[in-house]
Amino acid sequence: MPLIKQHISKSIEQDQRKRERDCTSLELQLSDPSSAARRWAARDLISCPEATGALVLQLQQEDDSSVREIILTTLTQLGDELAVASLVGYLRSEDVALRNEAIEAMKLLPDEVAPIMGKLLIDPDPDVRISAVNILESLRHRQVEEWLTKVIEEDPHVNVCATAVDLLGEVGTTSAQEALEKLKTRFPDEPYISFAADLALKRIRST
Amino acid sequence: MADTTISQEDFLKFREFFYRKTGIHFDDSKRYFVDKRLIERIVATESVTFRSYFVMLRFETSGEELQALTNLMTVNETYFFREEYQFKCLVNTLLPEIITSKKEGQLLRIWSVPSSSGEEAYSIAIYLLEYWPGINHWDVEIISSDIDTKILAQARNGDYSARSVEKLPAYFLEKYFRRKGDAYQISDDLKQAVEFTKVNLMKPEDVRPYRGFDIIFCRNLLIYFDDLSRRTAADTFFDALNPGGFLCLGHSESMSRISSLYQTRKFADSVVYQKSKEAQ
Amino acid sequence: MKRILIVDDAATVRMYHRIILEGAGYQVLEAINGIEAMEKALQEPFDLYVVDINMPKQDGYGFLSDLRSRDLPQTPALMISTEAAAADRTRAYAAGANLYLVKPVKPDELLVHCRLLLGEVHP
Repeated sequence: MPLIKQHISKSIEQDQRKRERDCTSLELQLSDPSSAARRWAARDLISCPEATGALVLQLQQEDDSSVREIILTTLTQLGDELAVASLVGYLRSEDVALRNEAIEAMKLLPDEVAPIMGKLLIDPDPDVRISAVNILESLRHRQVEEWLTKVIEEDPHVNVCATAVDLLGEVGTTSAQEALEKLKTRFPDEPYISFAADLALKRIRST
Repeated sequence: MADTTISQEDFLKFREFFYRKTGIHFDDSKRYFVDKRLIERIVATESVTFRSYFVMLRFETSGEELQALTNLMTVNETYFFREEYQFKCLVNTLLPEIITSKKEGQLLRIWSVPSSSGEEAYSIAIYLLEYWPGINHWDVEIISSDIDTKILAQARNGDYSARSVEKLPAYFLEKYFRRKGDAYQISDDLKQAVEFTKVNLMKPEDVRPYRGFDIIFCRNLLIYFDDLSRRTAADTFFDALNPGGFLCLGHSESMSRISSLYQTRKFADSVVYQKSKEAQ
Repeated sequence: MKRILIVDDAATVRMYHRIILEGAGYQVLEAINGIEAMEKALQEPFDLYVVDINMPKQDGYGFLSDLRSRDLPQTPALMISTEAAAADRTRAYAAGANLYLVKPVKPDELLVHCRLLLGEVHP
């Protein structure tokens, strides 16, 4: 029969013998010319808690998106302060793909992101505030509704409020009602805001 | 708890959330089906109301409840020739495309994860032998892996219930199985043709030797993983694939909720994901 | 009936656009990001794409570049984004957008631009 077995178990043993991978050599391999080698180094660095700095540095100069995705996965798993700080930096990136990847990574780090959320939501750059609200979408944290309510009460930018009200339709409770009513009067000429606020109110009241 | 009800707005809210997380969209006609299962989980978790259940579902850190609910909302059983359209795609389109970049005498490699009790891997073997003329010219290796050693032993043993083989034509049952009372055992030839191995997809040291695959089947697994784990698994498959290799997911799964590494390809019978031919 | 695919990660935005476009007699389908949009675009033909820029997994630029590089009908695309800077417009057109609007859009504004791209009205 032309269906054959090569016994992968043998190659598993060989592989283990061949690769004694310590953290320092893995960090060096992050700048290997082969993207496959860089991906493997980024993946294996999960067992090196000190590697965040090297990963952040490589991410800044990495132009292969497949390597970037894996660096970001590892950074998310490491999830320390330095990792979060670098992710915040990418929220300001001109590179839309990188910015969205940073948002996705931060959604998965509630404990690390929560302490800086208040600050992100009042960042002078409205695009950063929109990103911050997007992070709240999947951030498993108690304060989410409180943060969102504050945004629709105070944020001067219509698209920051629009992003927040979309989410309030899903997580809002009766405590957001007043702010939603007020939001409609803050942007009386925006049909989208009225639509979104009414939808959120309808959902809150129906439960 | 008989008075737990799901309002129309609750249903819509849940539908949006579930679609965002899994890619599965329920039409209005599925309302009864969805409500029934939601209420089942509300009761099981002692949440009392939809609202408190939904808050728990959204904000629970472990993601376990979403997994339990997804399990209930999808049919997760394995049997021979399940989602057969994809095996058709394999022999009609994927393999013919793969061999255009292979040299005479090179090996074709297929990885099936999770093996579960082996139905998928053996189905692939039968499909190749029966429906792919190329099998006379090319050597094919099929490896199937699972995290659960008990189920791997079952797969190697190859005993199946009548229900598990009911989609197979009688002729295949005769050719590839031995009748054992009410049950069926897969033939020794097929057992010899598939290698079953233990792998934890989340452990880099486990997955590192798995390289050089042309096609990976990973159906109805990632939908039950949390966001980070499904992404880790997709990253792993990317390095396990040869350039130009294909990844097949289950019919209700979409790469749009998982990873941006792959190119989407559409063939007559199926959407599959490809590692770019230029990728290293 | 002409078919429009709305690509946006925000459920409320998709619903708002859907109500406006369905009200005008179009058939509307939805996708949550660029990858899902491509899955749908490969499976069935559309007359128009209405595409957001910022989306997880694959953004609007990525979707349009991918779409334009494939052997598919060159369906028009209306890009709608919160990004108001000139550089964003330039980038959208370079990726393959036919028109660009800044969010939030008003119902008439959305309709007239869709009709323009569908060849139903002329500038």
